[in-house]
Amino acid sequence: MKGKKLAALGLTVVMAMSLLAGCGAKTEKASADEPAGGTAADSSAAEASADGEAVELELFSTKTENAAILQKMIDGFMEKNPNISITLTSEKDAATVLKTRLTKNDVPEIVAMGGDSNYTELQGAGVLLDLSGEDFVSQVQEAYLEMVYDVNVDQEQTVYGIPYATNASGVLYNEDLFAQAGVEVPETWSEFQDVVKKLKDAGITPFELTFGDAWTCLPEWNSMAPVIPAADFTDQRKAGNATFVGTHEEVLEKYLWLLDYAQDDFMGTTYTDGNAVFANGGAAMMINGNWAISEFLNTNPDVKVNMFAFPSVDDADRNTVTSGVDVLLAVSNQGTDAQQAAAKEFIRYALTPEVAASYIEDQFAFSAVHGVEQTNPTVTGVSKDIAEGRVSNFPDHYYPNGFDLASILQQFALNKVNGMADDQNISETLTMCDEQYDAANVG
Amino acid sequence: MKQKKKINVYFYIMVVPMAVLFFIFHTFPFLQGVFFSFTDWKGYGDWNFVGLRNYLNIFKDKNVLSAYFFTFKFAICATVLVNVLSLALACALNTNVKGKNFLKAVYFLPYMLGTLIISYVFKYIFSNIVPMFGKAMGIEILSKNILGTTHAWIGLLIVTIWQSMAFNTLIYLSGLQTVDKGLYEAAALDGATGIKRFMKITFPLIAPFFTINMVLSGKNFLMAFDQFLAMTNGGPGTATTTISVLIYKKGFSGGQFAYQSANAVLMFVMVVLISVFQLRVLEKREEKVS
Amino acid sequence: MTGKKIGQKTNWPVTLLLFLIAAVFIFGPLYMTVVIALKSPQEMANVLALPKSIQWDNFRKAWEMTEFPKKFANTVFITFVNLGFTIVTNALASYAIERKRKKSRFFNLMYYYFISAMFIPFNVLMLPLVNQAYRFHVDNVVGITFLYVVFGMPMNTFLYTGYIRSITENLDEAAMIDGASPIQIFFKIIFPILKPMTATVAILSVMWTWNDFLMPLVLLSDKKYQTLQLAQFVFQGQFNTQYNLAFASYLLVILPVLIFYIICQKWIISGVVSGAVKQ
Repeated sequence: MKGKKLAALGLTVVMAMSLLAGCGAKTEKASADEPAGGTAADSSAAEASADGEAVELELFSTKTENAAILQKMIDGFMEKNPNISITLTSEKDAATVLKTRLTKNDVPEIVAMGGDSNYTELQGAGVLLDLSGEDFVSQVQEAYLEMVYDVNVDQEQTVYGIPYATNASGVLYNEDLFAQAGVEVPETWSEFQDVVKKLKDAGITPFELTFGDAWTCLPEWNSMAPVIPAADFTDQRKAGNATFVGTHEEVLEKYLWLLDYAQDDFMGTTYTDGNAVFANGGAAMMINGNWAISEFLNTNPDVKVNMFAFPSVDDADRNTVTSGVDVLLAVSNQGTDAQQAAAKEFIRYALTPEVAASYIEDQFAFSAVHGVEQTNPTVTGVSKDIAEGRVSNFPDHYYPNGFDLASILQQFALNKVNGMADDQNISETLTMCDEQYDAANVG
Repeated sequence: MKQKKKINVYFYIMVVPMAVLFFIFHTFPFLQGVFFSFTDWKGYGDWNFVGLRNYLNIFKDKNVLSAYFFTFKFAICATVLVNVLSLALACALNTNVKGKNFLKAVYFLPYMLGTLIISYVFKYIFSNIVPMFGKAMGIEILSKNILGTTHAWIGLLIVTIWQSMAFNTLIYLSGLQTVDKGLYEAAALDGATGIKRFMKITFPLIAPFFTINMVLSGKNFLMAFDQFLAMTNGGPGTATTTISVLIYKKGFSGGQFAYQSANAVLMFVMVVLISVFQLRVLEKREEKVS
Repeated sequence: MTGKKIGQKTNWPVTLLLFLIAAVFIFGPLYMTVVIALKSPQEMANVLALPKSIQWDNFRKAWEMTEFPKKFANTVFITFVNLGFTIVTNALASYAIERKRKKSRFFNLMYYYFISAMFIPFNVLMLPLVNQAYRFHVDNVVGITFLYVVFGMPMNTFLYTGYIRSITENLDEAAMIDGASPIQIFFKIIFPILKPMTATVAILSVMWTWNDFLMPLVLLSDKKYQTLQLAQFVFQGQFNTQYNLAFASYLLVILPVLIFYIICQKWIISGVVSGAVKQ
């Protein structure tokens, strides 16, 4: 009887106890495989790793497209460094997940992310390691380092992220369909309009747009916004000296024109479905970036796809490819010394020319590493522009984080489909841009 | 009889640990949320008090206002439709049908499946299957993916109804089964049939079940999240952004932790007001029944 | 359907209608899910046709891609450990609260404390909870299991106290005279009587934890802790246009639930009904 009593009594508290026990166990483990702030345990871990004891790292990638190649790189690295074990995390909606983890102060040891406002936030939160003094910094091109400096919170010239791969956004086109319609790659807006009309006359759908996913409404904007308004717009906007209203009307006028030549139900087409249609020759062009190419080839390995710079204006020299830091590698300063050392080791490995080349080959991307060039025929149309520096950075990388331009543009396209008058649509959308930009800054 | 009897310590042991844990993981985060809604905290780093600024901004923020408007519109439509349709279905199941138990089990099935997966399946149906039929039959309104139009919310409504009807139908059915069949016979003698009989006899008797369903489903729909994140992610534009989706999207990734905390507090106040109102109605009805 | 023969004659039109609706609206989507999961991508042109040859390989690929065994183990752990703890702890707490509410301010306060928490939607405490969870190291499988136990308290207190109220206190008093302690009384006398309500709490709790998405989404960022539902969300990007794999993966998640449902269908339905009616 007495025993039973005690057992029952135990049950009621066991929950609380096991919870506490769980905490304790976790804390002990934390010093071994998770960031836990600089304590004595850390330095012992560092010593341990020098003796060849295991170090565990997490590599967090904000892109799902590069999961396979990153895994390959990790495998190659772990083969050479048997005492370091890296696990890859790559998921949908990764930016939100990363932010959630930042809230928990649970920062992955290595982060592979774009040079955008998400990076700014991470850098601004002070969780990234200063890599300025590392020998491998000299291996990457200065121009791309500058791009990363630009998105540092105070634009300071400190290396918190090593630019690794860069991307190109513009027009992706099907070479066979262009040949079939007898059109050439356009260099000016007027030529572009001609090409589009000819394609349509030949019974070919000019554009496959995938506005079912809001982010795909951005590449059109990102192609034109750096070219059409004054070059210093983003700075002026930040300072409060300029507004979207009065500067971006032409961008949206041209945007609306494109929509007339898209497939039926482009608002209901998702990125994945649209890619499949394009890859199978369902349309001549997509306005997106090099990252989509591997998706096309997954569906149809024989599709002949190439890219050209979006011809925003009639002055061919002013048109640029939109190119930014697609992947930079950053190291968390929350990890143990051993983890930080191992993370740097991984970056050094990733920057070796062979590895960097294998990455861009797989991703149809461009490398930030000196001397590593993209030679794949699918991007020849833009690789020259990039080599010659006819590039602009993504304007949305400079917009504040809470400013959800993608949703605004998706609404803009929806308004068009719903038959709203163009003038009204443009002015409402730009007013909305200004309002939301300011609201996001207040945030 | 002395009322002040000493309470055995075991009774405290049964409750106190749970209460402590509940405070730590439920009440405390809630209070924190209220606290941070008066600051400019981003979820990490430094913060300052900003007084009522977040609350004042909410009332000026078109995104928030439209999310509230949309959530109410959605919740009201879903609550009404789900209850009307499940009541109809329950009445049909309550007649002398063959295979009643089988049918009951089948119609309850959607309740068992996770909203997320149902949403993905329906997303595919809306984007691929429905347009295919629409085109084949030449019906223009069906040949587009509804999730890419201004009417995207109807697609979400359909999924929500599909899943929520299961539970509500079951409750109505159990209510209908408590109705004494003798009453129907008496009513039949008085010449009351069909709709009239339903309004005069059936409905008043199952009214408590109706209230339960209205309260439960109304509250659930106000907080709808899974299907929205899975099917439209709040789009196109912000057309299907519910309050929950907004708090999640902007609170975590938009750097508006404190601001969205204020939004969450507002949502809490709203849910309390609605629930209290509903409970009042519920109590009144119970008084009437007894 | 008028007259006295209610309960005798089968209503064929309604029967047919109900079967038809069930076939189209309930079995339709399920059928589609199964067929797509069993097809090769080449057969997707005729989405609704039966597969020519069954592609079991889809399941193998989905199994490996989502690391099904790991996610399954996590989900099973959360669901069943939570179930055990929820029933014992929540029933005990409800028993103490309900029996002593009238006699003690403290227990009455506890009652209102838990019940009023039903008004707090999860979304409201979601943002700070994420910080809190990290600080207490409960952002893992074991931790979230206990969070479910704690978060289920308001609803379960409500269900259990209502039921306990209907059990006469004479039983307790008789046992007390025999020298039994409150905990013995609970386990020997009250808990067996509570069985119908326990069934309800069990079903609601299992369905909740198995199908929940939001809490794992914000708390379980570490890949090795993810649940089956969360895995479906995470892998949307990697499934890409491979709908066959995606649907095979969905099927793997709902299959255990379907089997459970087919076996325990009657029990589940009556459990859910009595829970809802109590509310």
